[in-house]
Amino acid sequence: MGLSQLYRYFTSALLLGGLIALGGYGFYKVRQYDLTSFSIILESTILTVISIYLLIFLTLMIIRYAVLIMYSFMEHIEYQAKRDNESREIQANDALLPMVTLVVPAYNEGVVIQAALRSLLLLDYPNYEIIVIDDGSSDDTYEKSLAVAREDHNVPLRVITKRNGGKADALNTGMTHARGEFILNMDGDTKLSRNTLRACIRHFDNPNVGAVAGNVKVLNRDNIWTKLQALEYVEGLAMARKAQSFMRAVNIIPGPLGMFRKSVLQEAGGYDHDTFAEDCDLTLKLLMRGWHISYEPTAIAWVETPSRLLDLLKQRYRWTRGILQATRKHSSAMWNPSKAGINFFILWYMLFEGVIWPFSTVLGNLFFAYIGLKYGLVIFLFYWWLQLTILDIVAASYCVIVEEESPYLIMYSVGFRLFYITIIDISKVFATIEEWRGTAMTWGKLQREGKL
Amino acid sequence: MDLISILATVILITTIGTLVAGVAAYAAFKLRDKRRPKKKDPTDAGDAQDAEPIFLKRYTPKTDNPA
Repeated sequence: MGLSQLYRYFTSALLLGGLIALGGYGFYKVRQYDLTSFSIILESTILTVISIYLLIFLTLMIIRYAVLIMYSFMEHIEYQAKRDNESREIQANDALLPMVTLVVPAYNEGVVIQAALRSLLLLDYPNYEIIVIDDGSSDDTYEKSLAVAREDHNVPLRVITKRNGGKADALNTGMTHARGEFILNMDGDTKLSRNTLRACIRHFDNPNVGAVAGNVKVLNRDNIWTKLQALEYVEGLAMARKAQSFMRAVNIIPGPLGMFRKSVLQEAGGYDHDTFAEDCDLTLKLLMRGWHISYEPTAIAWVETPSRLLDLLKQRYRWTRGILQATRKHSSAMWNPSKAGINFFILWYMLFEGVIWPFSTVLGNLFFAYIGLKYGLVIFLFYWWLQLTILDIVAASYCVIVEEESPYLIMYSVGFRLFYITIIDISKVFATIEEWRGTAMTWGKLQREGKL
Repeated sequence: MDLISILATVILITTIGTLVAGVAAYAAFKLRDKRRPKKKDPTDAGDAQDAEPIFLKRYTPKTDNPA
């Protein structure tokens, strides 16, 4: 048991001790009057405290949705205006476009690697190269990548094999071998839209922009789980990331699609190995160094998402713990608003989304189910669910319009709130508790189905 | 029973069911993870030194020079 773990247990024991002492004192005072009324007073106090807390939480949720939709819409308008002005200019100056290196880390991606690489060879950009980093795969990823490299095409494609060291290590290897002025990091199972490089590169006209985050969409919309994830991705990106982009403070450059200035990546020391969300960690490192991060909605990475519940939980478990690890690593900015500036809000927002939100929704469900069963006040549970569902439907409708997505996704908002997000939130709560306890964890690679 | 009450009852049953299913799914995921054969952590830089010997009995070359 490490010192930090001892400290956590000691702090919790102190808090718990304080609460027990407070409760004991209250019990002693109540006993002086009437013992039978104690349980009633206790229950009513707890229920009142939870009700007030949930009321505050609901208010925050409404504000959150309103602010995100407003900022994301402003970003949408700003983006449309910029695109109209820039598109003709970019087309005309093909010869001036800088070289971009695509780094494709691949660990046991034999099922999908050839389709992924062939789609990369068709990108609409005059000056780019591809580097595949085979991260010590035990399958035929290396041989299959080499076979594509030997095919006749105009794009330089190099395949580098190395001892297994994890995704961060593979991306760092790619960075050291990159010849381009800009680096696009992605996943081995990702398919990019043809305009990706052109769309991302123009953000670097602004010298303050250090990196660009791409849009991620679900490719395998085959069953209820993947369709719900498709909605979740559309909402998360169209609404949240666009709003963050308006403030030039995107908090996660997604693993499947992120473009960086090579110099910025090198200056930041590349990816670190000490968290399970290396993309989030790197993004925070760049933000802390004062770089702006933009979001490009038309650069799309199509990814295969988990189609089975247990695989989905595994992915979310890793994301939750990884994001908490990254937040903790940069937590000094949380307590120093004058120095941290916008990063102060970013970290608190991440903590709200990662910890407070899941805890509150699970608590809300438990609370309203309890008062429904015990006091027959089922109607409160209904209104709690209805309000959150209305927020989801409004957000989904907005995102479907802005992202030009299929309208059927809006219908999934009902199921999204009814069961999907509760199951995800429960796993987030457990993951947070395990992270707090310091339970050991492994990467947990998703088994690909080869839908690319 | 009016429509709202029926809907509220449906939501109550679904909520309780989902809470139970969520905990059960998480337990199943943890159990599956535990039962899966353990793989060495690829990020462990020290695994080269700690690697198991490939011989059943460690090979030690004989020295010709006893001095």
